[in-house]
Amino acid sequence: MELQAVLMAAGGGSRMMDLTYNTPKPLLPVGNKPLIWYPLNLLERVGFEEVIVITTKEVQKMISTDPKVKLDVKMKLDLVCIQEDADMGTADALRHIQQKVKTDVLVVSCDLITDAALHEVVDLFRAHNATLSMLMSKAHEFTETVPGQKGKKKTGEQRDFVGVDGTGKRLLFMANEADLDEGVVIRKSIMRKHPRMHIKTGLVDAHLYCLKKSVVDFLADNKSISSIRGELVPYLVRKQFSKSTNSPKVIDETHQNLKKNDSNISSRDEELLHLTQERSCWNDHRGDMSDAYHGGRLRCYVHIMDEGICYRVNTLAAYIEANRLAPKLFDEPAVHPSAVVSERCLIGADSIIGASCQISDKTSIKRSTIGVSTTVREKVKVTNSIIMHGVTIEEGCNIQGSVICSNAVIGRGADIKYCLVGSAQRIEPDAEVNITYHYKSITYNNCHKVSK
Amino acid sequence: MLQIYTSGATSGSFRGGKQKKGNVTSEQEEEEQPLQAVLVADSFNRRFFPISKDQPRALLPLGNVAMIDYTLEFLTSTGVQETFVFCCWMSNKIKDHLLKSKWCRPTSPNVVHIITSDLYRSLGDVLRDVDAKNLVRNDFILVYGDVVSNIDVSQALQEHRHRRKVDKNISVMTMVFKESSPGHKTRCEEDDVIVAMDSKSKRVLHYQKTQGLKKLQFPMNIFQHGSDEFEIRHDLLDCHISICSPQVAELFTDNFDYQTRNDFVRGILVNEEILGNQIHLYVTQDGYGARVSNLQMYDSVSLDMVRRWVYPLTPEANFTDQQGQGCTHSRHNVYRGAEVSLGHGSQMEENVLIGRDTSIGANCHISNSVIGNNCTIGDNVVLDRAHMWNNVHVSSNVEIHQSVVCDGAVVKEAVRLNKQCVLAYNVVIGPNLSLPEGTVVSMHHPEEEEEDDDDEFLSDDQEVGHSKDKTRQKAFNPAEVGPEGKGYIWKASMNDTEDEELAQCLWGLVLNPDPESDSESEASEESQDRTFQLEVLGTLQRGLEENIVCDNLVLEINSLKYAYNITLKEVMQILTRVVLEYPFQQQGTQLTTLQYTGSLLPLLKTWSPVFKNYIKRAQDHLDCLSAVEELFLEQDTHQTAMVKVLMKMYQLEILEEEAILKWFSTGATNDKSRQLRKNQGVMRRMSLWRKESEEDESSEEGECGR
Repeated sequence: MELQAVLMAAGGGSRMMDLTYNTPKPLLPVGNKPLIWYPLNLLERVGFEEVIVITTKEVQKMISTDPKVKLDVKMKLDLVCIQEDADMGTADALRHIQQKVKTDVLVVSCDLITDAALHEVVDLFRAHNATLSMLMSKAHEFTETVPGQKGKKKTGEQRDFVGVDGTGKRLLFMANEADLDEGVVIRKSIMRKHPRMHIKTGLVDAHLYCLKKSVVDFLADNKSISSIRGELVPYLVRKQFSKSTNSPKVIDETHQNLKKNDSNISSRDEELLHLTQERSCWNDHRGDMSDAYHGGRLRCYVHIMDEGICYRVNTLAAYIEANRLAPKLFDEPAVHPSAVVSERCLIGADSIIGASCQISDKTSIKRSTIGVSTTVREKVKVTNSIIMHGVTIEEGCNIQGSVICSNAVIGRGADIKYCLVGSAQRIEPDAEVNITYHYKSITYNNCHKVSK
Repeated sequence: MLQIYTSGATSGSFRGGKQKKGNVTSEQEEEEQPLQAVLVADSFNRRFFPISKDQPRALLPLGNVAMIDYTLEFLTSTGVQETFVFCCWMSNKIKDHLLKSKWCRPTSPNVVHIITSDLYRSLGDVLRDVDAKNLVRNDFILVYGDVVSNIDVSQALQEHRHRRKVDKNISVMTMVFKESSPGHKTRCEEDDVIVAMDSKSKRVLHYQKTQGLKKLQFPMNIFQHGSDEFEIRHDLLDCHISICSPQVAELFTDNFDYQTRNDFVRGILVNEEILGNQIHLYVTQDGYGARVSNLQMYDSVSLDMVRRWVYPLTPEANFTDQQGQGCTHSRHNVYRGAEVSLGHGSQMEENVLIGRDTSIGANCHISNSVIGNNCTIGDNVVLDRAHMWNNVHVSSNVEIHQSVVCDGAVVKEAVRLNKQCVLAYNVVIGPNLSLPEGTVVSMHHPEEEEEDDDDEFLSDDQEVGHSKDKTRQKAFNPAEVGPEGKGYIWKASMNDTEDEELAQCLWGLVLNPDPESDSESEASEESQDRTFQLEVLGTLQRGLEENIVCDNLVLEINSLKYAYNITLKEVMQILTRVVLEYPFQQQGTQLTTLQYTGSLLPLLKTWSPVFKNYIKRAQDHLDCLSAVEELFLEQDTHQTAMVKVLMKMYQLEILEEEAILKWFSTGATNDKSRQLRKNQGVMRRMSLWRKESEEDESSEEGECGR
């Protein structure tokens, strides 16, 4: 076992509370599959047989009981529950399972939907005997209109500055715009070692990391680090170029401890590798004759995807975009065999119809996802929408660009445009709801119904 | 359309104001117009003093050819058809040289105009004059007279023109850089730059000299340009070749404070948003381009030349087309001019260039050196990286390492020139002398230079001659230049590093691939603690001197805590340490234990309220104790004092007895601290305490039994 996979599925989805109010984020349906299925599938495709899933009690219960969230994966899932209200970060979670970690780990977030070639990241990790290797991708513009939002959302978010070397692989610098009051400050010694640094801003972090075991051990000793992305990764990136400080020593020491205590093959390899590196004339840079990696023992690498799908489903916009793209990721029939679809209705090729759905006559469904056990009556028009499980849509409805959560009932003749309808809501017949109404009012508040 | 002037015309208006400045000519016209260049044959600094007292820098020989010839050859081969040479210092010499050269023959493809003025004091003055005289009509190349290059700038020029066509004259300058990694020999430490650029448009966003900097700072506004990919490059060698738009001259006129190109580049970048001018760069990978800005560079460029990096500008090419300059090239890059005689047993190892009519004696050993015309070299001479110019006489048994020997110098018997020595014109050295590293000897007296400091640029040969008379009066010092020597020692150039002096340092900074630059890494956190410690010490000191109330001390320490972002625990540990070290601090480390405790204990009493303020919880007590322990582990000669300190702290109610006992029983983590605890005094005191506390609570049993 070279790498252990760890799936972080305990996040609350705080950036899309409208959706996660009733359904925990890992179980949100994307293309009629729970979100967590995508990273699991990614791991399964590259041959992982076992994965540690860090999640909450609630999710665990739903996975084991709810038939709608069936995870058809063959991997062995080792579910580890953490306290939901303990406000644990990803690094805390990793620390929590330290006992289970026997080798280097591959940490994946549950909201990652990607067709990335995972081996690229792992190869960097292996080839350079790296401490950390991670996946990033060019940021995507979300084109779809988001329910409840007027116009286009301004990208007022702070940019991440990522500095890589000339080859585009070695991670040299990482900071958020918010922390850079004094501008980008780079030590000259780094520039001496890596005279060309590309600074990229339009990247998203896929939250997929390969980490050395020693890093996990290091986490166990340093309890102040609570988030992988927020604290650990910037810390490791920074520490690459500092010698004789405490923490790399800690990591070094653990390296050595590994060698001393552990007489298994991998650590002997490590020693041998080190010797090879010392004796060989190979180095990883041009321009000077110093040792490979300039003698540094801590190395961070990044694989940046130029093309392909890579989404983190952590906002409503990303969720909608992911639903639109999800069908491309797996080749299953768009219409589930158990769905009852009337012959006299129109279903676009880019739509998905879930299991045991009932679609009646004269219905038109375009660019939409219809969840499991949903009933769609006559003369309904659904475009650009996501309908979750168990929804009933009465006759003559027109739904456009909206998200209808589970078990909602849409009254006959309702006209819904760019709305988000919360789960188990009832929309009155002939209601006309569009973007001008604040969607939150109809999401949570059962008593407050919007009608004409 | 082009008026050809007899070269040698001095300053004056070449074109009447027929053309408007910087007007956008149509494409057709553009094609017709000849490519122009502005060559600044003056360095406007005194780096090459005292050598450049006798000869302007542009005329100094490099590989036995004057440097300005390289520059002109470079310009011509890159397609320049009209060059304006601006001279100031010793302009007559440059003019004479150019008039004799091939550039002034009627067949020359590059028409050279010489413009002289004594009033030029900087590059800015030259370009303002270019603007005033309305010399340039189109994009032009700006170089110094000491640039050696074989870069084909036509592609850079094309890119430049394309940008200007697309973006309506926004780009005013394209700087030419050569890619070479840090630590490269031809990289001049003083000229080291860091450039931030837009990866796609190749636009320069930030340009900074890095000399003396440890951290490089890039302001945020340079990253706001819509692009999402930037590049920070430290692998660039500034060739000092720039392609300028006609606006550059105007901009220099508008901004009369711009003196150098550096001023200009910085000014453009800073005012980019206001003026909308941009600077781009062009990076060549295989060309060669370097400016001889100090002797270090002279040394490397000269060797690069001999090693054929500047091909096709090689010594045997005789591109200046002068009679008798030809030489033959044989393997290991050994070049010999006409009529060279080499004595028996002499070896020319590699990279050696010997000018015509030079004779070398027997059993000499020459490597990586350039020897000029008409030199005589005696027997058993060792030359390594020696740069000898014309008519130099070297007697037997001489050793010369990495030094420059100018025209007419005489090196007598058994002289040794160590690294980076300079013998200026007509100096005589020796015999039997070893010049220390970095010695500069000149016929000019160093003080004479100070005297005519004011009119340094008003260079008249007459005046030099005149001042020579003055110096004659001062005698040569035989201890410095040898019994038969002639010349004055100039300040050893390597020893002064002050800013003022640096300008005069001939060799420039030595390229040290300073591995120590790593050690500064991440020092900030450490030093933060350190400065905090010093601040605390200062506060306490002041408290003692001015009798400040402890409450106020606490207040001050607290504010320091926030200023340095130090945790409470660290505050306490640092405080403990500072107080315990205070006697050492004040009276030196040679205190006896008795003296130490004597001075410390009253201090503890004075400051006990400060301690009490920070030491409250049980954990605080333990932290404090561990700080005490740490200190005494370092000061192992004073370990016996520890008991007294602990006792005092206990009596002052700073530390609780339980905490001390707990620390004693549990804290021993390594051999040393165990040793400390075994210390007789400590043991005794502890057992005493133990008994006391046992009397109090009988339940405490055997916990710290040993």
